[in-house]
Amino acid sequence: MSDRKLPRMLQSPAVILLLIWMLVPLSMTLYFSFIRYVLNNLRRPEWTTPSISNWRGLGNYEFVLKSKDFLFAIQNSLLIVCSILFLTVVLGVLIAVLINKSFPGQGIVRVLLISPFFVMPAVNAVLWINMILDPVLGLQGIAVAGINETVAGLRNTPLIGGFFSLWPEFNPISFRATQTSAYAVIMMVTWQWTPFAVLIFMTSLQSEDQQQKEAAILDGASAWSQFRFLTLPHLGRPIAIVVMIQAIFHLSLYAEIEIVSRGNGNKNLPYLIGEFANNNIGAASATGIFAVILANIVAIFLLRMVGKTLME
Amino acid sequence: MGRIVLENVTKSFGSTEVIPPLNLTIEDGEFAVFVGPSGCGKSTLLRVIAGLEDATSGKVLIDDEDVTEISPSKRGLAMVFQTYALYPHMSVRKNIAFPMRMAGMSEEEQEKRITAAANSLNLTDYLDRKPGQLSGGQRQRVAIGRAIVRDPSAFLFDEPLSNLDAALRVGMRLEITEMHERMKTTMIYVTHDQVEAMTMANKIVVLQAGVIEQVGSPLELYHRPRNKFVAGFIGSPKMNLIEGALAEEQAAHTIGIRPEHLSISDKEGLWQGTVGVAEHLGSDTFIHIHGIEGCDPMTMRAAGDVSFNHGDRVYLTPDATQIHKFDAQGLRVE
Ligand SMILES: Nc1ncnc2c1ncn2[C@@H]1O[C@H](COP(=O)(O)OP(=O)(O)O)[C@@H](O)[C@H]1O
Ligand SMILES: [Mg+2]
Repeated sequence: MSDRKLPRMLQSPAVILLLIWMLVPLSMTLYFSFIRYVLNNLRRPEWTTPSISNWRGLGNYEFVLKSKDFLFAIQNSLLIVCSILFLTVVLGVLIAVLINKSFPGQGIVRVLLISPFFVMPAVNAVLWINMILDPVLGLQGIAVAGINETVAGLRNTPLIGGFFSLWPEFNPISFRATQTSAYAVIMMVTWQWTPFAVLIFMTSLQSEDQQQKEAAILDGASAWSQFRFLTLPHLGRPIAIVVMIQAIFHLSLYAEIEIVSRGNGNKNLPYLIGEFANNNIGAASATGIFAVILANIVAIFLLRMVGKTLME
Repeated sequence: MGRIVLENVTKSFGSTEVIPPLNLTIEDGEFAVFVGPSGCGKSTLLRVIAGLEDATSGKVLIDDEDVTEISPSKRGLAMVFQTYALYPHMSVRKNIAFPMRMAGMSEEEQEKRITAAANSLNLTDYLDRKPGQLSGGQRQRVAIGRAIVRDPSAFLFDEPLSNLDAALRVGMRLEITEMHERMKTTMIYVTHDQVEAMTMANKIVVLQAGVIEQVGSPLELYHRPRNKFVAGFIGSPKMNLIEGALAEEQAAHTIGIRPEHLSISDKEGLWQGTVGVAEHLGSDTFIHIHGIEGCDPMTMRAAGDVSFNHGDRVYLTPDATQIHKFDAQGLRVE
């Protein structure tokens, strides 16, 4: 036995296990996506067991591509992921820079800021849609009603009454509606994941070299220039990490979408897969393959971005 | 121009006073070195001058203008830090350009100054590299380049060489001294290494616990240390300080004699002792001698290679004109 064989053999169980772990689900998905496979069909009972004799070729893919929700789901997936990424990174950087300065009560503020991250996604969604965003009973409804009442009250006061009588009655927004449910999801996930960004950016800020800052101060850099030319490049790597991790997580959002609107007007690819999987496993598998492709495109795109920030 | 005056400057962190009231004048064009043991407040003093720390009380004057309340960048001073403090995400060129860019200088002028600085510091081939791709010495040169292009009225150095290896340190020491000779700009240089102080300075400021022990030229400090602390701090190996009977013979509380002002003989001499460790440097030999009352071991320096064996009985004779006398308070008496 040559001296390289033994180490290879010793590694092989781990490698094989990993391969099985990844390859089996992927190949099963691929296989199902090329056959007719449904959970329930009274006229064609043979379709309810997966078999190569039910071969459908690219038929499932065609079916998915032609289904009315597919393009919409892809657009929506991207809209939700990109909005959340943008908001969490911007808010995360701002908050991290703000609380990185020392101030009284710092410890408590930091713990409070991190706490949304420990709320379960489904609970988060229920809280937001019912207690905050609800147009009648939620904070939103109460606030809008309060404003309307105040304005109505002020209409009768002398002097400024005329000004307020020009104001319209405000209507609360229903976030379960077709046009707005995606925004509700974006809001609640941003709220939940901003702490993650803050946490990572804060750790990074603490490792920022203070002498570099002092050198910059002596070089005449304003607070903005210090942020722009020192802090932001210093945060490049953690920003890339936050973007990567969140992209992976948010491409597969499900609970929030289910709870806010049961997918009405707001589907993403995982939700579409879930809908197909109620009966049509073949179509669900084909959608899954599309999701894999989309995830890869996004990953490659993001990796490029990471690469660039590291090169710079 | 760069005449820096400190008037009754003090600095406290909370309730601990790091620098008690301190007065000091550094003339235009001088190379002043602040030297003292670690933690004595050298960096703090330098940072007060730079404006990175506010003086707790007192005034800092640059060219007779009170700058105590003026922001660091408006004081016209450039600082080189021990850790170089280069901007890691910018190329060497951008690092050097940074202060000029912040000042809104024209591209042409920037380019001219970068080229000049890179030439004088041997950085021309490295302008497009990142700091991470440079050696310690090159990084220090970039930091100096970034200071030079600002054309400051004074340079401040905070232990700029202590992260370099010994050989490089000697080289950079020469380069900085050379740079001062060429530019004739005021420089304040902080170090804990008295050799750097002795070799570079026009004026040495010896600090201990925030207090100035003595100000003077290197040779003044060497020949006429004002007190025991300065006597022991300046010079290598350290001056031998002898207390007790031998000092009383000379009508002093303590007498000091430098290793190079002792002569050794195996036959006769003033003080008798036995040889301990001998350190052979080739050009010199440092011999540690035990058994002399009031100073154990006493170090003597012999030129060339002298061979005495461990345990040999020897005699030391001090050069009578080079004996320093100190009173009970540790102050020099003539
Ligand atoms: N920001 C600070 N807060 C509290 N104490 C400090 C601070 N900076 C320095 N000191 C104290 O001041 C003293 C002098 O420090 P420093 O000027 O850095 O000494 P040196 O540069 O001579 O080694 C030290 O005892 C140090 O602990
Ligand atoms: Mg220091």
